[in-house]
Amino acid sequence: MEALSSFWKRNWVGYFFLAPWIIGLIGLSAIPMGTSLYLSFTNYDMFTSPSWTGLDNYTNMFEDRKWMNSIKVTMTYVFLGVPLQLLFALSVALLLNKGINGVRVYRAIYYVPSLFGGSVAIALLWRQIFGGNGLVNKVLGFFGIEGMNWISSPDTAIYTLVILTIWQFGAPMVIFLAGLKQVPVELYESSRIDGASSIKQFFSITLPLITPIIFFNLVMQIIGAFQAFTPAYIISGGSGGPLDSTLFYTLYLYQKGFTHFQMGYASAMAWFLLIGIAFITALVFLSAKKWVYYQD
Amino acid sequence: MKTFTKLHSVSNNMFDIKQEKIKGGFRMKLKMLLMGLVSLFLVLALAACSGSSNEPTTSDSGGDTKTEDKGSEGTTAEQKPVEIRFTWWGDTKRNEVYNEIVDRFEAEYPHIKVKREFGGWGDYWDRLATQIAGGNAPDVVSMHQFYVSDYARRNALKSLNDYISEGTINLSDFPESAVNSGKIGDDVFMVAKGITMPGYAYNTALFDELGVEYPDLNWTWDEFQAKLIEVSEKLPDGKYAISDLSGGQLQPNLRYFLRQKGKDLFTEDGKLAFEKEDLVEWWTMWDELRKKGVIPDAATGVEYENAPLEQNMFVTGLTAITQIPANQIYLYQQQFSEGEIRMVRFPSRAGGENGEYIEGAYLSVTEKSKHPKEAALFINFFVTNEKSLEVFKVEQGSPASSKMSEFVKPLLDPAQARAVEFIQITVPYGRPAPYAPLGVNEVEQAYKDNATAIAFGQISIEEAAENFMKTAESVLNK
Repeated sequence: MEALSSFWKRNWVGYFFLAPWIIGLIGLSAIPMGTSLYLSFTNYDMFTSPSWTGLDNYTNMFEDRKWMNSIKVTMTYVFLGVPLQLLFALSVALLLNKGINGVRVYRAIYYVPSLFGGSVAIALLWRQIFGGNGLVNKVLGFFGIEGMNWISSPDTAIYTLVILTIWQFGAPMVIFLAGLKQVPVELYESSRIDGASSIKQFFSITLPLITPIIFFNLVMQIIGAFQAFTPAYIISGGSGGPLDSTLFYTLYLYQKGFTHFQMGYASAMAWFLLIGIAFITALVFLSAKKWVYYQD
Repeated sequence: MKTFTKLHSVSNNMFDIKQEKIKGGFRMKLKMLLMGLVSLFLVLALAACSGSSNEPTTSDSGGDTKTEDKGSEGTTAEQKPVEIRFTWWGDTKRNEVYNEIVDRFEAEYPHIKVKREFGGWGDYWDRLATQIAGGNAPDVVSMHQFYVSDYARRNALKSLNDYISEGTINLSDFPESAVNSGKIGDDVFMVAKGITMPGYAYNTALFDELGVEYPDLNWTWDEFQAKLIEVSEKLPDGKYAISDLSGGQLQPNLRYFLRQKGKDLFTEDGKLAFEKEDLVEWWTMWDELRKKGVIPDAATGVEYENAPLEQNMFVTGLTAITQIPANQIYLYQQQFSEGEIRMVRFPSRAGGENGEYIEGAYLSVTEKSKHPKEAALFINFFVTNEKSLEVFKVEQGSPASSKMSEFVKPLLDPAQARAVEFIQITVPYGRPAPYAPLGVNEVEQAYKDNATAIAFGQISIEEAAENFMKTAESVLNK
């Protein structure tokens, strides 16, 4: 007790100043998370009080075909979108690292899409670009190719969203650029003397030395991609259509909670998502031992 | 010993120093505390300032109602400022109209301030559900038959019986059928802003140009299909007779079709009121139209699914006929410089029953409203006061009050007059319709999903109907 009270006496001012953050943490994160964990074991329609159903919500998920489908859609999005996005970001970063004139301007310009990438306006723009009378089809038409309605065909809708993530390569690009600057110039010089080609240099020097950066970007983008919501919501008008082809996990979760009033089920889905992301992130971390190279 | 005393004195000295340090530390801490408090107050004051500009008296208004409830209708108590919130769905035009009505209400009752919230149809319902669950729903909410039971049965709406019997909401000019259309059981949960009826609309200019006769007010489904085929044959490629109505919302289209067969979507006790075969028949009709190119292909249909009125297929000239509620005739008319937008009834079934049922837009008071009395006053003003109806006209349907319905007649433009005429013709056909059961959203989702799957040719009609019945039954028998 005494230890506690002296601890208080010594530190209360610190906690006083921390209070806004602590209140936020408890009120906006801890309590909602705890509530959602509790709700995930109940049947809760938002109007009447929740009733305990045990693990039903979790077991029901595995019989829910739409849920299965939403996982498939999300996985496609993450495992296609993230690698392509990183590849693109790295390519642009390599180009910008060549010491072209006006690199700063280019860097700013390429970063712009990341700034408003997740926004409603861009999703609406995407609808226009890939729509039946959109820009893409106009360009294709110029070459005499008859386009199709990319957004509202179930076979292609998800890929328009993948392209949207790739387009938002700015954030990983900036980090790659910083990483590339860290690679010691001597290594390039001495390898040049040894007669290494640029390609050889890239695979033997650049790539191994920036693996920590790749690793960091990979983890961040995977976590972000799993939680993507806005683009699918706007582009499909909230439905996840056509034919559930853009029904992201988060979108289905939203529908269950706010359209079908099944908050218990939606909470269970949220916790499953948390566990799923944690599991996949853990796998990436485990794999890191095999391929991430730390210089020191 | 020497060392000891020395030590002692040292420790004494140290003690003194410590004391002083503690005193100093205390002063320091006091200073910090004061600074902290001052900054806290500054933040609070800032927050209060910014808050007060928006909502001047929310904090005391809670107390006011209590005194008001206790004391009789003392004028002094009533003059205390009160704030209520009102929400509706609609487009830009409607927002203008409703803002004007609210302004006039505020002028009439200077002590009541009305905060306004609005959104499109789809977002409106998502948000309302969330607000009600979160306990911060607006006081007056716009309601619809399709959703009212969901909210009323979950005790989210206030029964308005008391306000009606004491005359706060004066429904003496409402026909009984209009009052009853807002009842669940014996309780009135919503009051009609306007009564409307759905039907099929077309533009006379386009039909004249194509040289096709106008559809008949009382056409049958066979005549409907024949007319669509006739129109689509005269239209150029890439234009269609009508958009794909095989899916989407359960009502009005499927519902009229079922009711004409003597069935309905749901029974009174909330079960499905139709069989798989009915659905197969419905979807087969649309599938044949799709195969003939009379209605757009699935991808084109999806593209326009959520388009706002100004950009939908009918307005952009991609379709020749469309299904709308009559109150929207004038909105469509505004989009066309040539021709008249006219409406005909839903196609009927030869020898079948009438599909019609009374539809409209309503106002409700939420259960947790802190100012139900003011909310009731607002509803009363909205539906019975000439100052309001002068602006409302037929925005969401013909005014339910027969007196107000007469009052707005001379104010209408020709398109609005056509709407009123159409509503007057069709309302007498109306038969009561059971309310939608809990879980209707999920049933509708299944309907929509399966209809789309057929359109994209992913599954057979038979399979889709089977899927739908299974899902719907599992949802409704929970």
